[in-house]
Amino acid sequence: MIRCIISMTLLFALLVFASCQTDYDVAEVAPSEHLDVEHPAGPEQAEDETCEECDSEHSIDEQVEDSHAGHNHAQGSRNHGTQWFFNQPWAAPFIWGKLFRDAAIFLVLAVAVFIISGRKRRK
Amino acid sequence: MKAVFTFSLMTLRMLFRRRTIWGILLVILLALAAIASVPSFDVSNQGRFILDFGLFGIELGALLLALGLAANLYPRDKETRTLMPLIAVPLSRWQYLLGRFFGAALVQAAALLVTCLGLMLILLFHKLPIPGDLLPATVLIIVEGWFLLSTVFFFSFSTSPPLNWPLTTMLFVVSQMSVVEFVNILPSAPGLMRAVRMLLPHADVFHIKDPIAHGFEIEPVYFFIAIFYGLCYSAFMLSLALAVFRGRDLK
Repeated sequence: MIRCIISMTLLFALLVFASCQTDYDVAEVAPSEHLDVEHPAGPEQAEDETCEECDSEHSIDEQVEDSHAGHNHAQGSRNHGTQWFFNQPWAAPFIWGKLFRDAAIFLVLAVAVFIISGRKRRK
Repeated sequence: MKAVFTFSLMTLRMLFRRRTIWGILLVILLALAAIASVPSFDVSNQGRFILDFGLFGIELGALLLALGLAANLYPRDKETRTLMPLIAVPLSRWQYLLGRFFGAALVQAAALLVTCLGLMLILLFHKLPIPGDLLPATVLIIVEGWFLLSTVFFFSFSTSPPLNWPLTTMLFVVSQMSVVEFVNILPSAPGLMRAVRMLLPHADVFHIKDPIAHGFEIEPVYFFIAIFYGLCYSAFMLSLALAVFRGRDLK
């Protein structure tokens, strides 16, 4: 009976794993309002990291050069150069549910492994 | 649980008597002092530089402490033959593992809090403000350190001591990678790589040095979620370690 319950728990955990969306980064699931940037050419072009106004691809280093050429963003704002900063878990509340889900699954697995390994030993 | 508590106190006393903890602590504090003495050149706010690199230094310290404290615990117990009498009568195997883990975890947490204090003193010495979230950031690094500690225990039961250091360091490096970076290791099997990445921890959950250095506020609920995530993953690694330990023939 106990073995059956343990097996069911493990199967349930595995099914939860399988049914959930596989692992992802913040940027891959971020809603548009999270990715919106303050950019003179609009957010779409900023997402592509290409800016017609600057006529070049952006990078963090280029951002510094651009700032000297009059391409400034307000300090602390989301823009094409600071997406990496805001795509961290602390700044993305929409991913916190996934963190909680992963933690719960690991906890279930930990309990299951603890019980199963104990039963195996007693045999 | 009384046996676990008593054994973890014994472990704590034993680890404080060893020179390893003091040596690693000294190295971390010296590294923090060295970071603070690097000139900021034209960086407008030197405090950001010290905070960013200082917290990164503390995180590396957590890895060093986990390896230095726990990598030799089980092999030494086995070599000196103190393990057999311990698990023959007073302790079961899970009590032995938990006792050793809690003892090492307390020592590691104390050492990391001392390094946090060292970073605060360095900031004060440079007449820089101490951010309010510095202590919570250190708490998250402590939780990350416990996850590393549980990994060290897992590898100490399943591999030889010389392999423990590189394997734990490798897991530490991999856990820093984003999902996309991890998939790019083997781009031909993205589904498999994403599934494997799901089983590996996300160390970026414990990193809040960037918002602290730049003066951003973090919602308090995030700390609880991150701590819960770290503790659950540590429990998972400990259960795996216990499964290996229970299967070991100690003769």
